[in-house]
Amino acid sequence: MAAAQPIASNYTPTSRATELLKTVANGKYNRQIITGLTKFMDGNVPDDMRAFYTSEELRSLVALRGTQRDVEARMPVKVTRHYFELAKTSHALQTLVKASPKETNDLGGAPDPGKQMDYSPVEGLIHKYELGLIYVASTCSAHCRFCYREELIAQKEVERPDGTFAPKGLAQVGEIVAYIQEHNRIVAANGGRHPKTGREKLREILMSGGDPMVLSNTNIATWWSALADAGIESIRLGTKELAFFPDRFDESFFDMADKFHTAYPDTNIRLMIHFNHPDEFLERDASGNYIPEPRGGLKWVPATKRAIEAIGRRAWISIDNQAPIINGINNDPDALRIMQRELRRNKVENHYFFCGRDIIGHKAFNVPIEEAWRILNESQKGLSGVETHARLSITHYKGKTEVSAVTNDPLPGVPGGENGFVVLKLLRSAASAPDRGKVCLVGRNPRAIWFSDYDDRVLYDEAGLFKGSSKATAQYGQERSPALVSPMERVKQEAI
Amino acid sequence: MTFVVGENCILCKHTDCVAVCPTNCFYEGPNMLVIHPDECIDCKLCVPACPVDAIYADDDLPKDQHEFLSINAEMAQIWPNISKQKAPLEGAEQWNSIPKKRDLLKR
Repeated sequence: MAAAQPIASNYTPTSRATELLKTVANGKYNRQIITGLTKFMDGNVPDDMRAFYTSEELRSLVALRGTQRDVEARMPVKVTRHYFELAKTSHALQTLVKASPKETNDLGGAPDPGKQMDYSPVEGLIHKYELGLIYVASTCSAHCRFCYREELIAQKEVERPDGTFAPKGLAQVGEIVAYIQEHNRIVAANGGRHPKTGREKLREILMSGGDPMVLSNTNIATWWSALADAGIESIRLGTKELAFFPDRFDESFFDMADKFHTAYPDTNIRLMIHFNHPDEFLERDASGNYIPEPRGGLKWVPATKRAIEAIGRRAWISIDNQAPIINGINNDPDALRIMQRELRRNKVENHYFFCGRDIIGHKAFNVPIEEAWRILNESQKGLSGVETHARLSITHYKGKTEVSAVTNDPLPGVPGGENGFVVLKLLRSAASAPDRGKVCLVGRNPRAIWFSDYDDRVLYDEAGLFKGSSKATAQYGQERSPALVSPMERVKQEAI
Repeated sequence: MTFVVGENCILCKHTDCVAVCPTNCFYEGPNMLVIHPDECIDCKLCVPACPVDAIYADDDLPKDQHEFLSINAEMAQIWPNISKQKAPLEGAEQWNSIPKKRDLLKR
């Protein structure tokens, strides 16, 4: 395994950042993490956790070790004490966090169907839209079994643009700052658009991973101040820590955040949180029912409530929830209805629900596209307008695409539309802005889990989602030879 | 689980691990570093970063180094936190892989 680089090498903070960093203190956290199945097999876990896996479950998982179907090699197993407490009485949460042999029953799918690596000009950065995504951590407090960043979490070797194999690296502050400044300089010198890619200024960076909230306060403050100094207006931070370990949002974190806000008052922080199911934040009584509050709403888990309220008090931090719809976890309209309502009551915007990607080792988690749309639509019946802002999104190579509607009636006289049709709408083109809002109609295929499943029934394609063969698109990751074309070159070619 | 600094850190203390640790969970003694077992997030980044292969997952800790589990846990409570890389101890190269260094551990 290649050694990681220190996050702050080749980077000199500005004097403003230096002053801020001097005042930031790190908190102390005891997540009581259990990593790996060996601990459960050896009984080397606290007494009350021993029954989390039955001996039969452990036997069937151990039998797969060292084979192609090894579930721990696919995705490491990890759980916090907090999440264990929530999960021990929740079937949905157990499916989220417990390893299962089902994960590797069907190894169909592509390594990278959204072709993320093609948008990576610098190690640890994915540059799409006016947004850059950076990998700042390679782990989380616990692991979702359906994670689609498993190659980063498991530190799997991926083929690099130069043809060598190495684990995906993390973003380095100095390199990211240099890239942002150079990109924005070229954009500014060319009247607001990059002459080659047509992209606008990089205004927003999404810190992802892994979970950036595993970083210490000083490491988070180093990133925030560096990005703000580089001209980034909004910093997103994608985290599932409110579900896995809400006590991470402690006084020391808010002390750092408030000091950051004083030093950089114009920079927005946008927390992109990740709740999949209301069991992750609502209390349940002995019969497993949610508990109504006398003045309306439902009773939250106290630690989570404390954290969400403390975030909500800070007007310069916004909170958006996004989650994939996953088989066995939240493919349940009632759960999603309660979740959307309770989150909105607590200042959390419902941003996106996602269709799972057609990635190797994900068949057990995939809900068909049309079924996911039905579940979300069903969940939004009976909710008010402000509670139903979430859209169902699927990530096409071309950009983020909304599954807007699914009809049941035939489209008369249109071959392929006999069973109704699906309306897809391009929300954002990954390379450039102009394609936003363009639509695509495909005939229904209730079993479809990816665009390629509609190849034979495209009715209308203004958005160009099926230009060329999307079958090839889905399998592209296996066939391409990145050694021949660098990601930057590829982005340029796409733009031309 | 946690990661554990083992015997080969003694008298070397390269501190490359400190630079890559996302959580800043290393603590520094006179001639060795340790990991705070409660604060370690199990990311593994320090394992390949260590130039002398002194760091192990607790499940992989060699049997004859078992005592370093408690040395890490105990000294992390006492020694100060270290969050920035610094120069290794003088003579670090010569001490690499020398057996029985544990008797030289300074607390």
